[in-house]
Formats: sequence, C-alpha cells, structure tokens
Amino acid sequence: MGSRLRTNVTHFFECFCEVVPPQAEKDAWIIQQYPEKYKDEEVLRAVPKFAYPYKIENNVIQHYSFVLTNNESKWTYGFCRHDPNSQTAIVVLSYLPWHHAFYKFLDTTAALMHSTRSEDLREFLTSVYNAKIADPGKQFSVPFNTEDRIFTVDVPKPFQLPSIPENSNLTEYYNAVDSTNMMQIFASMLFERRIIIRSKKLKRLSSCVQSANDLIYPMHWQHIFIPVLPSTLVDYLLAPMPFLVGVPEEVMKKVNRAEIGDVVVLDADNNTIETPFDDLASLPQEVVTPLKRQLKNKSALLGDAVSRAFLRALVHLIGGYRDALRLQPGKSVTFDEDVFVGTRPASLKPFIREMLNLQIFRQFIEERLTMLNNGLGFSDEFEVETFKFSEKSSSKLKQQYKEWTAAMKSEGKVFFRSVKDKANPAVKTAVKTVKGGGKGMKNAYKGLRFLLKEGETAPHPLQNGLSGDEAPRSNKPRSAPSSPTTGKRRLAGFSVPSATYRKDTSLPFKSSPFERSYSPLSPSSQPHSADEGSGSESPDIPRIDLMHEMQDLLKLRLETPPVDRSLKPVRSLENFQHHLSTAAPPPTSSPPRAAPPLFLPHLASRDSENLLLQSPDDVFSSPPAPPHRTAPPPPPPVAKDLFGTAPFVVGGGRNEDGDPLFFVAHQHSVDIVKLSPPVVSTPHRRKQIEEEEDLIRLDSTSDDLDDFDPLKTPNSSFLHRNTCNLPISISNPLYAYENHRSNGNVATSRHDQDLLQEYGIDFNSFSNAASSSKVGAQRQWTTFD
Amino acid sequence: MARDYDHLFKLLIIGDSGVGKSSLLLRFADNTFTGNYITTIGVDFKIKTINIDGQKVKLQIWDTAGQERFRTITSTYYRGTHGVIVVYDVTNGESFANVKRWLHEIEQNCDVVNRVLVGNKNDTPERKVVLTEDAQRFADTMNIKLFETSAKDNMNVEEMFLAITRLVLRSKREMKERQNFTQGETVNLRKGNKQGKKKCC
Repeated sequence: MGSRLRTNVTHFFECFCEVVPPQAEKDAWIIQQYPEKYKDEEVLRAVPKFAYPYKIENNVIQHYSFVLTNNESKWTYGFCRHDPNSQTAIVVLSYLPWHHAFYKFLDTTAALMHSTRSEDLREFLTSVYNAKIADPGKQFSVPFNTEDRIFTVDVPKPFQLPSIPENSNLTEYYNAVDSTNMMQIFASMLFERRIIIRSKKLKRLSSCVQSANDLIYPMHWQHIFIPVLPSTLVDYLLAPMPFLVGVPEEVMKKVNRAEIGDVVVLDADNNTIETPFDDLASLPQEVVTPLKRQLKNKSALLGDAVSRAFLRALVHLIGGYRDALRLQPGKSVTFDEDVFVGTRPASLKPFIREMLNLQIFRQFIEERLTMLNNGLGFSDEFEVETFKFSEKSSSKLKQQYKEWTAAMKSEGKVFFRSVKDKANPAVKTAVKTVKGGGKGMKNAYKGLRFLLKEGETAPHPLQNGLSGDEAPRSNKPRSAPSSPTTGKRRLAGFSVPSATYRKDTSLPFKSSPFERSYSPLSPSSQPHSADEGSGSESPDIPRIDLMHEMQDLLKLRLETPPVDRSLKPVRSLENFQHHLSTAAPPPTSSPPRAAPPLFLPHLASRDSENLLLQSPDDVFSSPPAPPHRTAPPPPPPVAKDLFGTAPFVVGGGRNEDGDPLFFVAHQHSVDIVKLSPPVVSTPHRRKQIEEEEDLIRLDSTSDDLDDFDPLKTPNSSFLHRNTCNLPISISNPLYAYENHRSNGNVATSRHDQDLLQEYGIDFNSFSNAASSSKVGAQRQWTTFD
Repeated sequence: MARDYDHLFKLLIIGDSGVGKSSLLLRFADNTFTGNYITTIGVDFKIKTINIDGQKVKLQIWDTAGQERFRTITSTYYRGTHGVIVVYDVTNGESFANVKRWLHEIEQNCDVVNRVLVGNKNDTPERKVVLTEDAQRFADTMNIKLFETSAKDNMNVEEMFLAITRLVLRSKREMKERQNFTQGETVNLRKGNKQGKKKCC
C-alpha cells in the first residue's frame, strides 16, 4: 500500500521522553521515559538527536515534529516541545500524524511536569496511554488529575483534505511559501527529485515538509523522508536516491553543496527556490494553468481550497487510471499501463509515460488495486473529485465495478469473503464517520447562520464562529506581525525561575517527584493571575467544541510563560493593509515594557478577540526579534475608504504588542485588520515589498493568468499571497485532516457532498461579496453538481 | 583540499529485507562503527575505498528500508546511482522472485545502470532453494553477472564488490570517450536522464 502510516494503532502515543540537551562533551540524552517498557533501542537512541538536531538557542516555546522510518518504511512521528523555561525538551512518539492533538498533549504534559502534585504527570500519561483511541471524527477524551480535568482532542475524520487554517502544517507552509514555489515543489515531487527545504525555524521546517507530502495526495512520498535532519546525519544528504528532507539552517551550514549534486532547495524563510530542473514547466500546461488559477484566487483559499486545487491537478493527471482498469469476473482487478497511456489526451501522453516511472505513482496504483480488490470501491476524496472530473466514464466504470463485484459475490468465492472480513470494519467506521460528519456539517451550518445573524450586534458568537478546532490559528495568516520584544525584557518585571532537572540519573516517576522550582500555573509566578479564572481551571468547561478550543487557547495563553514574539512577514495582512491603504498610528512609540505580557488590558471587554488574534503557533515559533523597531510613520487613518460596501467593525483590540486590530464583518466574512505597518526581520526585502505594494493592487491580479511564468525567479512572485478576508470556514473546523486510514464507500462520500449541496455550502456564499468575477471563478470549481 | 580518491561511486543495494544486505555491507565496508540508521530514518550507507588498477575508488553503498513493498522499483530510484547490487537470499524463493521482477522492469525501461545479481546466504547447502543453474540462466538472459555469496563466511563478497566497481569504472571511461565525440550528452544524464532513457526503447 502507498501510505506510510501504520494501521491498527492501539495507543494514542507509544512513548513519552524527556530529553536533556547536549552539554560540552556530552550528547543529548533521555532522562526519563514513559512507559518504561518501551524498548526500541534504535528509536530511543535517535530521539535525543532529533529533539536537539543542533545546538538550539531556545528563546521561545516551539513545537515541531520529526519522523522516524522503520525497517518496513513505516513512519513514527515524534512531536517535540522546547520551552525556554525548561532545561529539557519533551518528546512524544506516536504512529498517528495528528499534529494538533499532540502539540496539545505536550502542552498539557508540560504544565503537569511543573505541577505541585508529583504524581500528576505519571497519572496523566498512564491514563492517556491506556485509553482507547476514539473513532475518526469523534473526541478522544481522557479524564486525569483524579478525574477533575479532561484531556480532549478530536480524532481527525478520514477523507478530509488539509484546511487552512485548521491544519497548522499547511497554514505554516502557505504562509511561508508562495503559490508558485508551492507548485515548484509539487512539480519536483512529481519528478521524484532530491528536495531540501531549509529554515531556521524547526516548526516551519517540519510543517513545510509534511505539507509538501500532503499536497501530493492521493499519492504518498515513497522515498527518504526526514522533516528535520539532525546535524549528525548531515551526510545523508549525499544519498543518490530521491529524498524530501528538512534541513535546519544551522545544519545547512555544514553542508557542502558541491558534494550534494543536483538538488532542489526551497528556502522557506525567504521564499526562494534554487533548482537545476524545469519541473514546473515540464508539467502539462493544461494541468498547471487551472492550478495556477485556483491558487491565484486569493479570496477563496481558506478552507481546503489549496489542498483541493492540488488534488484537482492530480485528478487531471492520474484520475484516468480508471480507464485502464481491467475488471474480469473471477479475477483480480488489474491495471493496464498501455491502455492508461493510450487513453490519455495527446498533450498529456508524454508526461503520463514518465509517470509510469514514478515510485509514487506505482504505489498509488497498487493502493487503488488493493482497495478495489478488497471491495472498497472508489471511496476517498480523490475518487470523488475524479468522478466530478469525468462524470461519464466514471459512471460507466462504476457500473462495471458493480457488476464485477456482483459476479465475485455470486460466485461465492472465498476470495471475496475473506476480503470482506478484512474490509468491513473499516467500511463501517467510515460510513459511521461520514454520517456523523454530515450531521456535524448541519450543525455547523446552523451555527453559522446564527452567527451571521447575530454577528452584527454581538461579537461573542462571532468569536465562536471563528474558534473552531484550531480557529485561533485562523488568525495566523492575518495575525499581526508581532513587534520585537526580547524575552529578557519581558521577564524583567518578574523573575521566572527556570526548571531544573535532577542531574542524578534516577528520576523515577513515583519515588522522586518532579520538583520543579517553579510552577507557571501558580498565581505567584504569573503576573496575570487575575485573568486566570476563566481559563486555567480546566480545559473542559463547556460542552461546545468551539468554546472548548477557545478555552484551550486561553489556558495555553495563561500557562505559557511570556514569550518573545517577533515579526513574521504575513503577506495577507500586509496586503490587506495595502488594500485599505490606511493605518492607525502603531503604538510603537510607547515604551516596550508598556506592552502587556499577555496583551489583555487595552480593551478589557474585548479580551477574547484579542486572544483570537494570536495563534498559538505565533507564540511558539517566533524567533527572537531585533530589540528595536523603527516603524515608518503610518498614514493617517482613512476610515471611510476602509470598507467601501457596508462592512462594519464588530470587534477590536490590540495584539500583544499593542498594535490595534479590528474585526471587520462583511456581509459574509470577517476580516481581521491590523492597522500598523509590519516590522521586518529582513529589512531589505521587506522594503522592496512595501515599495511594490504601493504599485500593485494585489486583488486585481487574480484572474490574470497570462503573465505567469513558472520559472520566474521566485522573488518576483513574493507578493502573490493575498488572503485578506476570512470566509467563515465551514469545512468543519473541528477536524484536521491528517489521516486516510479508513475507507468508506462512494455512497457515503457522496452523502457528505450532497449535504454540502443541500445546504448550499459552496464557499461562494461565504466569500467576499465584493467581487463578482471572483465568485464566478470560484463557482467553476466549488459547486458540487 | 585535495581529494583522497580518484573516483567516487554511489552504489545501491536492493533486495527484500532479510536477504542479508546489511551483513554484506558490514562485511565489506570500512566504517562499520558509524551506527545503523536504516531502522530510524529508513536509509543507511557505508563507505569503502578500494584500489583498482592503481586507482583509488571511493564507494558509497546505499540501502533503504522496506523495498519489498514495491512491486516495481522505478527508475527514479536509481537515476542518481552508478551501479546497483541486486540481492536475493538463496534460501528464500520469494526474494528471488522479487528480484526477477525488478530486474525485468529495469530491462523494460532500458535503464542504463550497471548491476550485478547476488545470491546471498550461500552457506547452508541443505537449505538452498534457488539453484545456481536457475539463477545463472536468469542472469544470462538479463546479461548480468551472478555472484553467490555468504556474508557470514565472507565468501565471494569482496569479489562481488570489486566486479560492480569495475563495471562502473568501465562505463565511466566509455562515457568519457563518448563525451569527446558528442558534448552535451552528460547534461542529459545529469538532468535525470528522462529523455535519454526512453530513447532506447
């Protein structure tokens, strides 16, 4: 099978480790682990290397993931959390790729490590380890702390494409890399190149690599896959085989580029690509052009639109594999290469012939044949798109497959029965899930209507509407670049003692409690005890999921030691800012210490919005920033021009750096507007952008295709991101797509779609009503008819 | 910095897990102490420098995990390599079947890559199921050399590695000669030889 994820996973996690950083002559090492019975020595030896891939200067809390590959080439995910106030890193190993869930798990664990009650951590780990994993689409809830708190995460549904902003990996990738470069990487993956992604941020690195792989779905990268490469393994870049490797900037310094040979390098920090190949130009233009067009339609790129655009490109390329299936009663379904190439349009043929030489394509075919021969039929999101792409031939094939299945059944072959036994649970689960998902959609839609009505007057429901599973992240693309504040300065007002681990090697959970010298949860060590009431009690207050996530975020905020935030060039915001050509005076004149560590006080009544404006990822992944910033004097506010039609401000506040932010509701969307010029970590480049922004109206370029040159230097396309409005996401924000484990059947997938249609949910209605042409363009591909 | 070798060749060792690829590498390579990463990142390599005809040849031999899951190993997998060592286990018929399928596929794609066929674990005759004659017949039809080795008894291992190295060295010379006639061929090959490969079919 193509996927490199394991099936039949029984535990939420396999092993939890606390890792001590490398010191002078000593490598990083695991000081304690749970469960102790986890004995995979090779893996345990590797974990410290990946937890400290290089000498990390840790100023901020950061999360990232790494991947280990076993002898069967199956993946084990390592989720890692670094905290500047802890001398150790924590890592959890799991077979499940649920990034959001595990980052939350690590946060909870980190808090418990500083708990005054020493048994808390072990009890928590034990409870979670032994809990049965919930079905897809359901909640995985585990009570802990003698049952008065509950750890809850959502189990991703199958068939859900990664969405922005719910999927933090894709959001990060999308933020860091423009669509042209995303297409370049996509193309190079379709040629199975040796690909390096480099970044100085581990989170960005792992996110980009993971997402690059997600975007070739229904195929899966079959080659060397190392989202974060430790410096000790730098020689593995010499591998002559295809690879997709994330190389931290520090590790990149050790690389001798001349030795590596032909390799595609994406610099995720600077959004540039170096490649000796013409891969994007070598893809059939009839596939690239629509992809380009869809990715250019900035107003509609939230939700799963980015994933779907790439999926459609692949449908165009390989969806025709169905025409080459041979269904003969009594025999297994087979695939005929010659028919496949022969039935493609002439313009596609040369590339299709090449595709037969791709491992990712071969494995895809193998996977599909296995699905078909197991009676699972055409079931996943890819097949649904394929049906849409070529309705006619599909229905013919469907009929054929039906007959084939019937024939197999009537012959009563042991073959099919045995297969059925295997397949049934998965199908059942999938059916259940999809049904459940349909219900969820109904509810979501109901909620949405409510929000749209209520949103005008009451900001609170709007928050809820925005705070889906990872809704806080939703603000990421448009959250304000934070102003630079150094960790030290933030900490100046109070002292946060750092955690100490015991140097003696025995740190058993039971006998020796974690005697941390501070407890960030205790009011005394936190300057914000006043705000804690709502958030820190427990993560499980309300029953509504949306609120739940809000709560998590709040809690996270309060538990999170003050962190450094620096600027992140977030194009969407800049664009928006440009678009509005207005800005309130940024509060940069105020002395830095005036910026509240948790950024609440400015508009007390609006503090929830305030929180929404920051994604947890911003908190975690921001690097230390320059201590001073000199913002250019902003133009005076021209409120009138802000919202031409009839939008209204429904909320506002300031982000943690004191920059003013507003929620602006359009008829069907909510924008988050930051009214201060972003400050730059790379002044030169930013300057250039600002200059260009003065000249180009970004939103007016969306339908203009002819100027597109895929091989243009990536810098020139730096501006192509323009996601300034936020359609309220209906792509079920509760679930992050990350797993294709189960398979359902067509009927149920259609069911989901039908529901969408029934409720008229086709992003159009939620998009910015301002541009009718845009809506028209979307309609070409978002309706389900 | 002066290079400490005249040639650097990257070889690939393929075959089902369990046929003794790692043992062959361990038996042959210099840097056996560097640890084994095949079980943690799914890829491993070993280095050996050898002398052939007075020339110092540095070999990197690469191995990846889970190849048996591939019905076909496609050309993208070996386009960056100079030679492929295809290993089966003489006591395991299935591993030989896999190898046959892979080699057939390479042949069909007309991939220009040097290769040798290796039947490993040739040390317990009573358990041998892939007969030398069958393997040899197959090797002949594929026009490649067959080596029956035992990593355990260190039998034929050195010879096998030397043979593939010679093959690579020879094709490098040939290519250089050809290059003298037609410039630009190397460019094609370096660019993943996607055009070059197909033409021969």
